[in-house]
Amino acid sequence: MAPIRDKFTIHSKAVVCQDVELKGDITIGSGTIVHPKATIFAVAGPIVIGSGCIIEESAIIVNRRKEVMRIGDDNLFEIGCRIEAPSISFFNTFSTRSRVHHTVRIASFCVIGANCVLAPADDDALSDYTVVYGPSAERRMWTGKGKMQEADLRRKHAEYLREMLPKFNRLRRGDGA
Amino acid sequence: MAPNVLYHCPCLSTSSAPPPPHLASSSYNFHPLHALFFCEECDAVRCNRCVSVEVSGYYCPNCLFEVPSASVRAEKNRCARNCFMCPNCRNTLSVVPSDPPDAGDGRLSAPISTVGEPPFFLYCNHCRWDSSEVGITFEKPTGLAAQLQKLEDAAPDSLEFDRLKEHFEPIIRASSLSSSSSVAPSTSHSQHHSNPITAAASAALARDIPGVAKYTPHARSGRPSGKDRSANKDEMPEYKSRLDISHASNYGSGGGDVDVDFMRRLEDVSEVASLQQRWNYSWSTSIETRDLKPLRIPLHSKRSKRCPACTHILIKPEPKAQSVRYKIKLVAANYLPAINVALPHQIEMLGHISAEAAKRSTKAPVDGDKDARSGLQAGKTYPFHMSLTNPLYDPIQVRLSVQRMHVAAATSSGEGGTTEKARRPPFAISIPTTPFSVAPFAEAWEYEDDEEMFGLDDDELEARLSGREKETKSKSKTVGVLEKRANVTVVGGEVALGKEARGEVKFNMLVAYTYRSDDPAPSEGHDASPSKKAVPETKTFAFYTVVDLGNIISKEEPRIDPYDV
Repeated sequence: MAPIRDKFTIHSKAVVCQDVELKGDITIGSGTIVHPKATIFAVAGPIVIGSGCIIEESAIIVNRRKEVMRIGDDNLFEIGCRIEAPSISFFNTFSTRSRVHHTVRIASFCVIGANCVLAPADDDALSDYTVVYGPSAERRMWTGKGKMQEADLRRKHAEYLREMLPKFNRLRRGDGA
Repeated sequence: MAPNVLYHCPCLSTSSAPPPPHLASSSYNFHPLHALFFCEECDAVRCNRCVSVEVSGYYCPNCLFEVPSASVRAEKNRCARNCFMCPNCRNTLSVVPSDPPDAGDGRLSAPISTVGEPPFFLYCNHCRWDSSEVGITFEKPTGLAAQLQKLEDAAPDSLEFDRLKEHFEPIIRASSLSSSSSVAPSTSHSQHHSNPITAAASAALARDIPGVAKYTPHARSGRPSGKDRSANKDEMPEYKSRLDISHASNYGSGGGDVDVDFMRRLEDVSEVASLQQRWNYSWSTSIETRDLKPLRIPLHSKRSKRCPACTHILIKPEPKAQSVRYKIKLVAANYLPAINVALPHQIEMLGHISAEAAKRSTKAPVDGDKDARSGLQAGKTYPFHMSLTNPLYDPIQVRLSVQRMHVAAATSSGEGGTTEKARRPPFAISIPTTPFSVAPFAEAWEYEDDEEMFGLDDDELEARLSGREKETKSKSKTVGVLEKRANVTVVGGEVALGKEARGEVKFNMLVAYTYRSDDPAPSEGHDASPSKKAVPETKTFAFYTVVDLGNIISKEEPRIDPYDV
């Protein structure tokens, strides 16, 4: 296997801390926040992260496939989650210590509950507003009521972090900067 | 399983000695120390089976509101404030406002006001169930329980039940006076636990319900015993139900053709509500998931317990729901020495195994393997340690003795094939039989002048004892007093297993302890101190315990350890 070539493209408005493990071809969009000790690992294909995402401590995002792993806008990756899904749209929440394998594609407004493991053997796709919860990773559909308030909260959360993180952490700049 | 010690409560047996531990009835007589109470008046251990229980208050486990007992019934035992349970996952629900009207451009950019838009609904943070799914929304975010209770009360089952109560009420009231005289004799059969409180409860249970034939086993063939009762039966007007029961399922209470029809069209299992989701309801509901309604949270109660013999309160919680303290707390742990049993070879082995596992970084060894290394093997002799912790402010002299295994009892209990083996007790226990002392309990900061304290208390006794200890120590290293520190004394024992031994190593042990009750320690707000009367004499209290050392691994099936070299 060819050695992984590092190529980081970080938007000037993104907040990526210095103490972050990045490997491979990674693009991070504007306003996205990557906390220290997060890991983004493009093993095979590149990873493209949209704007306004929050990637918390010790979250792991891995792309094992050849094709581009696209992560949309305003996704929240909570502490200790491990996500390998090949495509993620926008406004999803991956709760603490949740795991999503590379066989699952995720649409928008999905919630993967704390400690839920999504590891189907065959390819699977979560449709919009799917909620995965509980110890046996049950699924149900959310009505989507209150999503505006949640979106607003997510924005404020990101805004606060954009303000506070640079005060206490060194930031990483992209290759171009 | 780790070796453990359980304490005997003599409430079930007629004799003071407990049944031998291999009998099935043994397990009902023994309890862990933390589950036992101690009655000072009777000087006896009480367990949860023999105490009489009273409810001292109701509260909501979610909002910790203390519900006055008068309104508990009206609110149907559920919280009447804003506490709800998710019908889907049983998490608590929160009241949330709706989203502001959509701007229409699809972008989520409108600023959100802090007040919230009116229709309010209940929302589960865990599974994102919300009450708008079942059509429940509120105009105001307050007083939701009342609105929901109205809904509950409108259920056909609830209405039917109310109607039934109404129907029977005049009959009950009319005959309560006449039947009150017949209550007294019916309680006479419960002579075992008879005291004013339990008597009242059992009287309430044994009271004849007018219109319902009295249950007497031999009255079946004979004519009804009481004239007034048969008269009541005749007087009772016929009850007409509100709804025809054959059509009840049409009103959403579940069952009948509606469910059959639903099941026939079923496409996905998740459309059917699980039993877990449904059995929290007061009334029967439909089995469809989409019909699940938010539940008001059931109330919890705080209970106080009384001694069955002298009706003194053994434990009484503080009435405040937020408080986890007790006003009165006479628990056995404050009176009886706590005994812990350990098998030193097991501890060593477990440490060894875990260290090995860490080194090898493979999967943890399976339980069977662990058992084989740390279990008791037939034909061998094992030492065991018992540590006794003294909770009293006085030093105690403890004397241990093993209850003899009755051979006759053993044979009678043994299975048919193994009677020959059961004739001999499968193991022999040797423990120190001479009394030994356990130092008094003291607050942690008082332990610095440990030696002085010993000398001051009763040095003569102490000296005599230490001499004896040395004697036993010289005889063998495993049996005898091994260690003394603070208010803990560790004694060693030995178990010798027979060659053909199998089953559990379990034995009854009588613990007798003597304490000087001349100076009741000044208790500073500590309710644990025994407030015995100042009698300058020693008192002895004895109790039985069952010591379980674990299972014997019989020699017939030798387990070869693949890791051993």
